[in-house]
Amino acid sequence: MSSTQAPLFSATAITKNFGGVQALRGVDFDVVPGEIHALLGQNGAGKSTLVKILNGVHPAGSYTGTVQLDGRPVSFASPADARSNGVGYVPQEIEVLEQLSVAENVFAGRTGLGDGVLVHQRRLEQRAAEIFADLGIDMDPRAYVASLTSAQRHLVMIARAIVLKPRVLMLDEPTASLSGTEVDALFSVLRRLKAQGVAMIYITHRLPEVLAICDRATVLRDGQVAVRIAREDFDAETFIFSMSGQRLQRLFPEHAAPVGAPAALEVRHLTVAGHGGAVHGAKDIDLSVAAGEIVGLAGLLGSGRSEILHGIYGRVPAEGEIHVGGQAVSIKSPRDARAAGIALLTEDRKRDGLLFNLPVGANITIGNLAPLSRHGVVRGGLERGAIVTAMRALNVKASSPQAAVTHLSGGNQQKLLFARVLMRAPKVLLLDEPTKGVDAATRHEIYRLVVELADKGVALLIVASELEELIGLCDRCLVVADGRIVDEFGRGEGGEGRVLRSVTKAQAERQAQVTA
Amino acid sequence: MNSAAEVSSPPRDAQSFRRRLIGFIAVGEVGVLAAMALLVAFFWLLEPAFLSERNIRAILNVVSFVGIIAIGQTILLVAGEFDLSVGSVAGLSAVVAAKLMTAAALPVGVGILGGIGVGALIGLLNGLIVVRLGIPAFIQTLGMLFIGQGLIQVVTGGYPVYPLPEAINTIGGTDLAFGLGWSFAFFIIAAVVADFVLRRTVLGRNMYATGGNKEVAHLVGINTSAYKIGAFITVGALSAIAGMFVMADLGSGGTSIGSGWELTVIAGVVVGGVSLFGGAGTVAGGVVGILMLKVVQSGLVVIGVNSNWQQIAVGVIMVMAVGLDIVRRRYFIAGA
Repeated sequence: MSSTQAPLFSATAITKNFGGVQALRGVDFDVVPGEIHALLGQNGAGKSTLVKILNGVHPAGSYTGTVQLDGRPVSFASPADARSNGVGYVPQEIEVLEQLSVAENVFAGRTGLGDGVLVHQRRLEQRAAEIFADLGIDMDPRAYVASLTSAQRHLVMIARAIVLKPRVLMLDEPTASLSGTEVDALFSVLRRLKAQGVAMIYITHRLPEVLAICDRATVLRDGQVAVRIAREDFDAETFIFSMSGQRLQRLFPEHAAPVGAPAALEVRHLTVAGHGGAVHGAKDIDLSVAAGEIVGLAGLLGSGRSEILHGIYGRVPAEGEIHVGGQAVSIKSPRDARAAGIALLTEDRKRDGLLFNLPVGANITIGNLAPLSRHGVVRGGLERGAIVTAMRALNVKASSPQAAVTHLSGGNQQKLLFARVLMRAPKVLLLDEPTKGVDAATRHEIYRLVVELADKGVALLIVASELEELIGLCDRCLVVADGRIVDEFGRGEGGEGRVLRSVTKAQAERQAQVTA
Repeated sequence: MNSAAEVSSPPRDAQSFRRRLIGFIAVGEVGVLAAMALLVAFFWLLEPAFLSERNIRAILNVVSFVGIIAIGQTILLVAGEFDLSVGSVAGLSAVVAAKLMTAAALPVGVGILGGIGVGALIGLLNGLIVVRLGIPAFIQTLGMLFIGQGLIQVVTGGYPVYPLPEAINTIGGTDLAFGLGWSFAFFIIAAVVADFVLRRTVLGRNMYATGGNKEVAHLVGINTSAYKIGAFITVGALSAIAGMFVMADLGSGGTSIGSGWELTVIAGVVVGGVSLFGGAGTVAGGVVGILMLKVVQSGLVVIGVNSNWQQIAVGVIMVMAVGLDIVRRRYFIAGA
């Protein structure tokens, strides 16, 4: 696309703070009619914050800088406001009403077609059919959405965004749940929209897609524009370099992988079924972690890295062999995993970590009460002592063991959960995003704790989205893409670039396989 | 054991006293007890006969029946489920036990065990269907309410089972103290045991974890299905026992035993601070809640309020109690 064309939609000098953390620092971004502009960057680079500003989720006033449409400043108060101004958004998660028909979903929220309270079923179907024909999509408007595949549902969501004839369309990871041929179908829809002059912002992690369909790319890093590249200069290597460039240096405590230590955890042919859609599951995973070793699972969201941890812990049904300390163990449930000396720290504290109905102390001892009780009766003094010891050891700051967990900071909640999983002195510790949503000080405490545990001979397997953290902390990194381990390197043998390259290569191979 | 407790527990200074006090108030029974004291005083001022021996005895007697079920319902609510079929189960178990003793001419002990067995079996069925098939407890136990009512008619043919063996009448008629009988004794003992189990045992703690967040409980190795099914069985068995005590009290296996209890029981325990959303509340609270509900009903009768208004009062009190509970939680959790 010629860059001489006047931008249709632009953002200038956008800065956005989240409680002292700068998510965006003076970002400029624009898109011209008939252009597909890729927005790239690692997790936490600021992509989603920028998109949320552009479509009104973060309303005008909550950020500084200007957003312009057609050269006129606009300030969206809500996503609905953005929509009615011609800025459409297709979210990553599929949000459809399963019990309704395709046509009703396409016109969700405006089934009256603007004139009254009655639903004009036939006209809805006609209009939906017109939109599908226009986009080159072959779909029956009367079909129920419940019967559609996830790819078809995604197309329904795109059609829904198209109803208002947006001039700007933002697509957030549109291919996350699509297979190779479905991606091709999506691309042909995007090409049609492009021919109609729609300006598109394409958010993705997948470089092969950028190379295939985008006209321009902007790479965000640490809340700033790292580089803006035109199509003629597209090159996977350039993208990887600019996405992974130097960031603020973090200090990681020193740790050397133990030499000749026996494998504490050995996994052979572990296969976890995917749930369809964005969750890929894991296929035929082999890995081993020595006692005292810190191993990282690097990969994108949905690559299957969490599923590997869940499979080992028996949280989801998995096939394969698991050996702990040289002994084959059969793990059918978390209970079995715990009995084998495996502990898991889950990613989402609120959803599957904390018990909000119990106070701090009981949250630490839950599941660990056997040694603190006699004949099934909890021994109060013993429990209090264990709680106080655990809170001191991990520096959990709470007014008392009776305090409510809701009011602890994210960092203290995380340390509390560490206290819970460590109370049984596990031999193998699985950590899923151990530093997610914690402050900088706690982050360092957690790094130190991880190294300390490794020094004591605990085998650690860690999943973290921040590659820099994972690489800095781990003795060895395994790169996961589409549910498989595609690369492996030791400390000092590779950086973020290597991870991104391996992932991109694996994705390109997969795409080639599917189309072949 | 004592020395270990002394070594590891911190000295009881002023701060820990304050904490205990807050904990005490925040537990929930205290608020309900205070409210009940006020209500008792109110009714007594309006009509001193409210505190007559006869009236107190009548209240406690009624409370002992529904209270037995409230114990089970509290445990089940703590585990994150609830049971609407308790009244039907009470009635069905009573008539089955009565039939076993009379029509089948089995020994009284076997009849009683049969009744408890029916209750436990229905609890098991409810639990299995809710936990394994994932049918919501509301639907499953509502269905069971109707099934139970139907079975009562099937078993009895619509006629009360009468006369019952003398042993049953003896159980119903025994005056242990203050005119209160075996049902009250059982109620008190069961309440104390259940309260202790929920408060102090690993089983109890795991029950709270299961009701608080099933996924977390599962991840820390708790067999949440077993806990939920166990709680359903407990409430079923306790409903059966309550139903048979009523039968003994009446001296007949009446077909209307237990009818309408399900809502009284749930209203009562909720008034006592047991959360409908699971994981919060105590047996003491649930029992006091039931007592308060009955105090209000009886008080309104004693001061001569039209019986239609009693229903309205129960409704208002339940909504108010839950409202107060929400405010109290907000205040104490915010202040902690």
